[in-house]
Amino acid sequence: MALPLVDATLHAFRLLVTGDADLWHIIWVSLKTSVIGLLLAAPPAVLLGYLIAMNRFRGRRIVIWLAQAALSLPTVLIGLLLYLLLSRRGPLGELQWLFSQPGIVFGQCVVALPVLLAFTLAAVQGLDPRYAETAVALGASRRQVMLRVLYEGRFGVMAAVLSGFGRVISEVGCALMVGGNIEGQTRTITTAIALETSKGEFAQGIALGIVLVALALLMNGALMLLQGDAHAARERG
Amino acid sequence: MSISIHTSISAAVYENENQRQRDERRKALLGVRGLRKRFHEHKRDRLLFDIERIEIATHGAYVLTGINGAGKSTLLRVLGGLERAEIDSLRFQCDDVLRVHPYPRALREAIVYVHQHPILFSTSVAHNIGYGLGLRKMPKDEIARIVAEAMAWAGVSHLEGTDPARLSGGEKQRVALARAKVLQPKLLLLDEPTANLDGSAREQVIELIPTLVEAGSSVVIACHDRDLINLPGVQRMKLRDGHLEYR
Repeated sequence: MALPLVDATLHAFRLLVTGDADLWHIIWVSLKTSVIGLLLAAPPAVLLGYLIAMNRFRGRRIVIWLAQAALSLPTVLIGLLLYLLLSRRGPLGELQWLFSQPGIVFGQCVVALPVLLAFTLAAVQGLDPRYAETAVALGASRRQVMLRVLYEGRFGVMAAVLSGFGRVISEVGCALMVGGNIEGQTRTITTAIALETSKGEFAQGIALGIVLVALALLMNGALMLLQGDAHAARERG
Repeated sequence: MSISIHTSISAAVYENENQRQRDERRKALLGVRGLRKRFHEHKRDRLLFDIERIEIATHGAYVLTGINGAGKSTLLRVLGGLERAEIDSLRFQCDDVLRVHPYPRALREAIVYVHQHPILFSTSVAHNIGYGLGLRKMPKDEIARIVAEAMAWAGVSHLEGTDPARLSGGEKQRVALARAKVLQPKLLLLDEPTANLDGSAREQVIELIPTLVEAGSSVVIACHDRDLINLPGVQRMKLRDGHLEYR
């Protein structure tokens, strides 16, 4: 049992190192759809997270509750809902996004949104209120206050974006249902792993797994470096 | 004859009276009538203070005393537009301010509140001091000139390149005062500027305060500090049992 695994892993490294075209295309599709989806979702999600954190309004707690509940929504369920929306008879059927990269991007947006929103909200809420008050007292407009507060909370916002990236790059349900796992077009890292494993072809699955783990290590390492600086600054203060 | 003398005397008296009123008005910077602050606490309304009137004169220096929890900070924050309260009427520089919420732009530009423990933005000392000027779209070279002057005034020129998080409490307070001063506010509201400072840090802050008044600002300082209360020319106000007493 151990031997086939070792063989598959060695083969996986060979695939990665030799620049296997199919493998790297899958990685490229994954990165492209995840990053575009994230970039599209981030501005509205960060804005909403900021507004919910800074303002007191009727139903605020309900909004926070829903946003946090959305964090634990299975992506396969989001995939199902989007499938119904995007299918030919669905309300967005005319877009013809089902089983296409734009469809995956749309899905990644929806998957990333609650993570970005909830984490930004937590980051802004956890920030010292004197930052916003000082900006206001010195004459900042609403927009200028927001820019100031998001700058002061930039590590939290970056953590939100990285967590969003972690969620979209690693989710399988939505990409599978909306993208359809079409070879060369909508096959992503996670959907390929699921397929290859079911076929008993472990090498490509392991190679893609290595890429995912490397990405996770890279992203979280970068975040830790940034936050390490922030903690040091706070301790000095 | 006597009638005409009488009339001219009355006219002179009337003229005098008018002049006096005009002078009085010119001296008045901020006048508030009927200021109440309520808190909603444990499903009950609590009245923190109910102040009949507040008069702040141009170039005036005031200390606001009162026990902890009397509402000194809250009063300053209300005047500085950081908290809401019920206000019957407000005059600023002889103009009636018809709407207090949202806080009018004219007041925002003229009144600056400084926190008890000021927080500095995580940029640089110079950026912090020039922040308000940048918001007002002042040209960069002019900001740099004013910031350099303000840093010299506050005695923080040597800290220009220092990370604001590394400053001591007294240095932060002086940077915050410089950050407010560069805006040439008509009214500065200082919340316990010497609290938690001792020795030379406290003295350095106290020395700056009269120069703020000389530079043209009226100053209201919430404090317990004897040396601030006893500064020459300072008028005393005390918040007691929800009312404001002038001394």
